[in-house]
Amino acid sequence: MSSDVILVIVVGTALAFDFTNGFHDTANVVATSISTGAARPRVAIGIASLLNFIGAFISISVAATVANDVVDASVITPTIVFAGLIGAIAWNLITWWFGLPSSSSHALIGGVVGSAVAAAGFDAVLTEGLVGKVLVPAVVAPIVAFTVAGIGIGLAYRIVGRQRPGPVTRGFRYGQIVSGGLLALAHGTNDAQKTMGVITLALIANGTLAAGADPPTWVIVSAATAIALGTYFGGWRIIRTTGSRIIKMDAAQGFSAQASGAAVILASTHFGFPLSTTHVINGGVMGAGAAKRISAVRWGVAGNIVFAWLLTLPAAAAIGGAVYGLTRIFGTGALGPVLVTLIALALSAAAFARRSQQAAPVPAGSG
Amino acid sequence: MIATIIETKELLETVLASLLAGVGITAVFSVAIWGGARFADLNRGGRPLAAGAAAALGVLALVATVAAIVVGILVMTSK
Repeated sequence: MSSDVILVIVVGTALAFDFTNGFHDTANVVATSISTGAARPRVAIGIASLLNFIGAFISISVAATVANDVVDASVITPTIVFAGLIGAIAWNLITWWFGLPSSSSHALIGGVVGSAVAAAGFDAVLTEGLVGKVLVPAVVAPIVAFTVAGIGIGLAYRIVGRQRPGPVTRGFRYGQIVSGGLLALAHGTNDAQKTMGVITLALIANGTLAAGADPPTWVIVSAATAIALGTYFGGWRIIRTTGSRIIKMDAAQGFSAQASGAAVILASTHFGFPLSTTHVINGGVMGAGAAKRISAVRWGVAGNIVFAWLLTLPAAAAIGGAVYGLTRIFGTGALGPVLVTLIALALSAAAFARRSQQAAPVPAGSG
Repeated sequence: MIATIIETKELLETVLASLLAGVGITAVFSVAIWGGARFADLNRGGRPLAAGAAAALGVLALVATVAAIVVGILVMTSK
């Protein structure tokens, strides 16, 4: 009975994380289209939400990686998964508060790894999977996106360089509706699967599913819905950072950044790499900017983002470990997770209330 | 040790696919835009034959862009 209560809390928390993932990552998906004037904010966000939902149904390779290749499922309990999720949500809210586009994905994996280490020691971590499928792709993917966007925009400028700017800009703005949609689809495909993987891990830990099982349909549908809703209600603050503070883009650069981001995310999803979509799209944005003019990229802002990236895994792991310790103060039953959930809800509500008094939507085409 | 941990083949295929798809789609779509822009200019300049050729190339490139996206999604998401 107690374990079922914890499982229900874990599923609810995982879907809440998925919501915050969509909420947090809205900016990454739509900022480029909005900042170049290719789409109005509400339209871009509506399309992104729908395509996030559809994207979640395309593949389950990443979910399998998160469920089976990062931590040893045989020593994991639903409480460990819960603590990891709270660690990830807390880090997402902290970075959202400061307007930093850090990685929700790395926060999730960091949180689960941290709580697993706190509960069962370093043996609980599957080093091969963590390094080979998470850490190395985490470093490689943004560099590839940077390079692809840079080469792409270089070619684009050579091809259309002598044409009148009006039709060229209009053409790339139309193209951005497609490339932005593709990026949203890719985002849903990779990011929603991380939540599916975590819920599947909890179901395996609870004995509800056999080890190595695929996510059940209800998990896929609920994860898709949560990320789509999160995207729809997403974070306006971070749009400013991604869309205008890193670089002032033209429509061709926006297209190239989005196409490179979508290509990297979809290719990685095929092999089950749980990437940070935030890292990838920011890598693409910087590549598209640097190829035109190195000084066009505001490297100070980019440096802050890189700092947030580096901090995400250890910070989420530390919070996840601390949350696990906190829940264990109240024993192994459901009391700890219930109390921690209530505290987390109260703190989140306070943060949203405070922020909603300060935040204002970014007008179309700003930056 | 590191070589066995890193999934080199999958990683290289990811990099290659990303390069081909990302650069390819941007380049081919740029050709579509070039075709559209040239069509308008040449047509205005009273050169309908050249304008038709530019338009045909533009349409071909647009079709190639859409086809690349569809094939890309199908290939990337199939196991």
